[in-house]
Amino acid sequence: MKRNWGTAVLSALVVSGLTLTACNSNTPGKDNGGESKDGAAKNVASAGFPIVKEPIKLKMFTRIAPSNGPFKDMPVFQDYEKMSNIQVEFIEAPTDGFNEKKNLLFASNELPDALYRAGLTPLEAIRYGSAGQLIPLEKLIDAYAPNLKKLMDTYPEIRSSITTPEGHIYAIPGIVTVGSARTDKKWINQVWLKKLGLKEPETTDDLYEVLKAFRDKDPNGNGKPDEIPMTARNGLSIVPIMAGSFGLDFQLGYNINLENDKVQIWMGNDRNKELLMYLNKLYSEKLLDQELFTQKEAQYLAKQGTGNTGFFFDQTNNPMLDGKVSDQYIGIAPPKGPHGDRLQLAAPVPRDFGAFAITSVNKYPEATMRWIDYFYSDEGSTMLRFGRQGENYELRDGIPYYTDTFLATGNQSKITPYAGGGAPHLISDKVASFINPPQVQEAQKKLDPYMPKIRYASPMFDEATAQKINVLRNDIDKYYEEQSTKFIAGALSFDKWGEFQATLKKMNIDELQKLYQEAYDNLKKQK
Amino acid sequence: MKSTASTAGAASRSKPGRSGLLKAMASRYDLYLMLLIPVVWYLVFHYGPLYGLQIAFKNFSPARGILGSKWVGLDHFERFVESYYFWRLLWNTVSINLFSLLFAFPIPILLALLINEIRSKAFSKIVQNVTYIPHFVSVVVMVGMLMLFLSPRGGPVNAIIQAFGAEPVRFLDSAAWFKTIFIGSNIWQNMGWQSIIYIAALSGVNPQLYEAAKMDGASRLRRIWHVSLPGILPVIVILLILDVGHFMNVGFEKILLMQNNLNLESSDVISTFVYTTGILKGEYSYTAAIGLFNSVVNLALLILVNRFARKKAETSLW
Repeated sequence: MKRNWGTAVLSALVVSGLTLTACNSNTPGKDNGGESKDGAAKNVASAGFPIVKEPIKLKMFTRIAPSNGPFKDMPVFQDYEKMSNIQVEFIEAPTDGFNEKKNLLFASNELPDALYRAGLTPLEAIRYGSAGQLIPLEKLIDAYAPNLKKLMDTYPEIRSSITTPEGHIYAIPGIVTVGSARTDKKWINQVWLKKLGLKEPETTDDLYEVLKAFRDKDPNGNGKPDEIPMTARNGLSIVPIMAGSFGLDFQLGYNINLENDKVQIWMGNDRNKELLMYLNKLYSEKLLDQELFTQKEAQYLAKQGTGNTGFFFDQTNNPMLDGKVSDQYIGIAPPKGPHGDRLQLAAPVPRDFGAFAITSVNKYPEATMRWIDYFYSDEGSTMLRFGRQGENYELRDGIPYYTDTFLATGNQSKITPYAGGGAPHLISDKVASFINPPQVQEAQKKLDPYMPKIRYASPMFDEATAQKINVLRNDIDKYYEEQSTKFIAGALSFDKWGEFQATLKKMNIDELQKLYQEAYDNLKKQK
Repeated sequence: MKSTASTAGAASRSKPGRSGLLKAMASRYDLYLMLLIPVVWYLVFHYGPLYGLQIAFKNFSPARGILGSKWVGLDHFERFVESYYFWRLLWNTVSINLFSLLFAFPIPILLALLINEIRSKAFSKIVQNVTYIPHFVSVVVMVGMLMLFLSPRGGPVNAIIQAFGAEPVRFLDSAAWFKTIFIGSNIWQNMGWQSIIYIAALSGVNPQLYEAAKMDGASRLRRIWHVSLPGILPVIVILLILDVGHFMNVGFEKILLMQNNLNLESSDVISTFVYTTGILKGEYSYTAAIGLFNSVVNLALLILVNRFARKKAETSLW
């Protein structure tokens, strides 16, 4: 025995080394399938507050936008903790790099109790749901989420867009019933228009002329050519904003037009070519922000506040308020394209898919469901968005408004997680006074006639199909994004359009179209 | 490897050998304890994770764990090789490193030879310091500096170009410029640092050789060619092999930071593709396969170069 100790130690080391690493990454996922565990469930009150008799603690992973402060300092979560007896500890990740952290959580299986403002994609929800990392919520919703259930009954498209073919719901969306919160307004600088004696642009050609005037005629009057005629969020966000003028729609959460129940992916179409050529013209003549492809979100928001931009896109006028230049801007209707198209891009009612999900490590799924459900009521949503009555907001005709003294502090986005987008809650007329003030309502009125009649959200596929779509879209989307950027920036000549189409074909875009067609047909059948 | 295997075999066969080894270990137990630390380090952090490589051949699902996921054979490798991006990724990865080797490798040697020829000690120290300080600039800052210097609006480089009446060049948004900028800035940043080892090697060359060459009437260039260079050749070869050792994954962070949709054509390399597809889109098995492919290519290259070096220059790693 004695002379073998060297070998023994060494092999012990090897074995322990292996098992050490094995332990870390090999904890099997628990599957508690939404079934109530007796002890935990008894603690949960079926209605009213507090939600639980004995205080409990939940860990939630969340995304914080550049303008947000720490979630624990927000009055909504402080007050709600007292109300509900549930203490939530937020694990915060900034918007840049959020997806990376989210995926690492799942890959390493070190899960929080829930994901808040998670921005899960349908594929992620299916993948992590069918693997047992996220629990199915449909039974919990029926039993513990009266507010959400009521909304799902009123707007049937909510249920169809979040239910998998197997009938599970793994993630719940942010729900937007007020129309103006589903569109990006087209804000134009009316002071500049007036100064140069121009009218609101009606067509894409008008728009081109207006932007040229913004660039050349020094509308801000400082003698320097420093005006930015048109800007937008980073990169290809400019495409969906202008696509409606060229007859391109975004059905089923993808670059899809629906005509007579036929799904048509339009990336290789001539209409898309016209759109890209138009954008290329704007970009190469320096009418479109030259930093479009490199700027970050914060830079874009800052530009809105300077008053030195002519035309840009945002859902609200909040970023302009900070710079006190909001009076400079009015919303305009979508410009009419060369073929007479005037379509406004609008998000579906279940706007933010995957805003909230519960993981398999959560010991109190019932309490968690009740916790989140409150925010799908007008009352809870008011609390989330407006903070404390008197301190942060006041009621006028039953509608909450931020108090002027509070607005003057400029801390609005520090007290609510809805600023920055994608929070799991209800946005209705009752709580939209801030994002839907008269100026925004005016702008929305101009868009209303051009809103699509139905906007289908991304369909849910079964896991195998979702995987197939993912493999196809990985290549196709990457290629489309890269080539479109190059077309717009002029790094790729439109002589290569044929090659672009051929490559899309080679990447099996037809098969992708077929898969979406099947999903759409299923959707129709369900009704 | 061969020799250690045979001594181990001998030790196990003959008792005196083994007890001798044990005795030696016992008498030097403190040294062996110190050895234990790196051995454990390697086992835990370098060999332990190797077992996770199997996810390249499986459909990895985090919930099922590495061992519990289903085997799919070579599916992921096939998908990669058949992918539209395969040749572009391979070419970019290889070419960036090939050009680096071609241009960035000889420059520190030249610099070391030059510094070695400087007569004034003080001046040579200054040159050395000035050239190696950029090495301490972090990658993030470095890329920030590149963006500032090369910016089409207000960047000094474009200011000069405009002063000559030409249009400003969008260096960082251009696929054609990417490799030049990437490799050029690498040279600027690292040549001084890398030359240090050559300078050290040069100082080890026997001064009598120079004296003798001088006596024979060799010019300066001749002395460099016939004395200095052969003197440091073993070091050059070893460093070359080491460079090839990480041939396929040089500069990941820097490339990722410099990357955008407009230069993707020439900046998309295997390691950044692994990051964007694997980490950001959660395709772990697929990218593990790509990473493994990358490593296998690299290992093959390393063995080739090492063999070549052993034959031609009679210097090698093993």
